[in-house]
Amino acid sequence: MTKPAKRKSRLPLVAAGVLVVVLLLDFFLKSIIPDSSIRQLLMLAACNVLVALSLNIINGMAGQFSIGHAGFVGIGGYTSAVMASNLHASLGGGEVTFGKSFIVVPLCLCASAGVAGLFGFLVGLPSLRLKGDYLAIVTLGFAEIFRLVIATAQANDGTAKVGILAKIGSGLSSLGGQNGYQGLNNQGVPLYAGPFWVFGLAFVLGVVAWRIKFSGWGRALRALREDEIAGAAVGVDPTRYKVTSFVLAAVGAGIAGGLMAMMRDGTPTVNPDNYNFTASFDAITMVILGGSGSVTGSAIGGVFITFTIKAIELLQSSSVVQDLKRSIEGLDLNALRMIVYAMVLVALMILRPEGLLGERELFQKKPTKAPAKKADQA
Amino acid sequence: MSDLVLQGVSKNFGGLRAVGDVSFTVKDRSIFGLIGPNGAGKTTVFNLITGVYKQDVGSITFAGKDLKPLKPAQIAAVGVARTFQNIRLFAQLTVIENLLVACELQKKAHLAAAVLRLSAHYEDEEQMNERAMELLRVFDLQDVAEEPSTSLPYGNQRRLEIARAMMLKPKLLLLDEPAAGMNYGEAEGLKTQIRWLRDTFDLSVVLVEHNMQVVMGVCEEIHVLDHGETIAHGNADEVRAHPKVLAAYLGEDDEEDAPRAGKAEMA
Repeated sequence: MTKPAKRKSRLPLVAAGVLVVVLLLDFFLKSIIPDSSIRQLLMLAACNVLVALSLNIINGMAGQFSIGHAGFVGIGGYTSAVMASNLHASLGGGEVTFGKSFIVVPLCLCASAGVAGLFGFLVGLPSLRLKGDYLAIVTLGFAEIFRLVIATAQANDGTAKVGILAKIGSGLSSLGGQNGYQGLNNQGVPLYAGPFWVFGLAFVLGVVAWRIKFSGWGRALRALREDEIAGAAVGVDPTRYKVTSFVLAAVGAGIAGGLMAMMRDGTPTVNPDNYNFTASFDAITMVILGGSGSVTGSAIGGVFITFTIKAIELLQSSSVVQDLKRSIEGLDLNALRMIVYAMVLVALMILRPEGLLGERELFQKKPTKAPAKKADQA
Repeated sequence: MSDLVLQGVSKNFGGLRAVGDVSFTVKDRSIFGLIGPNGAGKTTVFNLITGVYKQDVGSITFAGKDLKPLKPAQIAAVGVARTFQNIRLFAQLTVIENLLVACELQKKAHLAAAVLRLSAHYEDEEQMNERAMELLRVFDLQDVAEEPSTSLPYGNQRRLEIARAMMLKPKLLLLDEPAAGMNYGEAEGLKTQIRWLRDTFDLSVVLVEHNMQVVMGVCEEIHVLDHGETIAHGNADEVRAHPKVLAAYLGEDDEEDAPRAGKAEMA
């Protein structure tokens, strides 16, 4: 973190506090919370906060509608998983240590951010010239194409000519297809991202998201959402701002995906099914539930949805439901989840269309006055 | 010399000729009126100058620069600012934020500086805030700086739009019906304000207006359009006496005018 010049800020103090806390968590979370599934849940919540924060830039602040955010999360996930596996091998394998994570995690996340950002640019540039609805279709298509390409890629069986396409094909097929990528020689993806990285980055990127919102750039983006023609008339180029916002959202999603793939106590595989439409839909629910355009709102939405998903999973495995399942074939609570979400969203649209917080923020000092402090929602 | 020159400009929408072969020059530091009955193509001319539409034929240059290849945001950067006939404010933003958005072009510190909170970011914000407050005082809006822009009464919204345009430090200001809905006294005030703007900020003003009190009182040169074509050009007295202008405004013994009366203005 860079120190803010001039104005005195509590941030350095808070940042130091957070640093100590996440360091301690990295070593002692295991003894505080012995249940690994709860540890996993907490870290997943932090990752989902990042997903929601990044989607909020495009869906909330820019007023565009992307329904394929999971695609960028997936790109970040695969990039980090592959790179972490290879780095781990070239570091001599062995134990996953905290020290080595300082090499692996930053490199992998930078790569994830870069690749996701590149795809964000490629997808955003043509579609953002058009009106919002087209973007929704393009993003949905892009996310599905990404998922299906990975799921169905097959190695060259010798019949195809060895060309650039065949090479790409065999490269993609090494990502494990439908079964997911399980690291080099199926040893599993090394899980380098401990609580230090997951919670620490959630805090840092939360501050970044907050500052983006209250920067002149964020203000211009919100202005474009209100009126593009008037925005252009005062020198804010709609295409440029929208594409930039889309790339930033993709970068954030890439980092979130990378963290999820390398998350300690997580599964050591990345699977294409983790990045299906349901995942994109979850991300949208987080943003809308918390309040489109609100940084703290998106963070709350991210945590809330993660816990709801887990609660439904627990319900699914409870003995009552298991008994029910035996008597009623085809009972699937995951499908029920979609119905519950849809109902919650419809109710929200009727009762509180702006979401929990609307565009407002928690901890906001004075509405819109010179950007106040920062968000504490690590 | 920041002259705006239109030469043989035409624009068709499908089969409809909105603007046909219009030529005029707005001299540097002049106040220029563009008038005509509803549907005459005045606002279309504004949209052509600011790049919202592109002309089919002809050329538009400002300060010697061809505007056709430029996007609206780039035209704003060249120094052309405008207001809109149906006020276009950034609804969810406060009054002062509306002005600050117009500063993006003049910023030295960009997004990265804002995220890292570099001193350049604070300097920028401070400067812009000061300038915005100054302009708000000019337009008597300083007390509502933190109010949501849509909560303002109609007249104040019009003034806010002009203030926002002025944030660009324009060399040419296009005002689209600034006097709409104003009473006699307010219109008199507007005349003074327009002259004051020109003199203080050294710019040219093009005025699209139906309020003849304002147009005749403040414009040094007036260009009259009807059906997208030029019918008269000159100073207030010349235009007022022009037979074609009288015919267009007051109607002539000709059934051709009848169906046009209720037609809404182009875009």
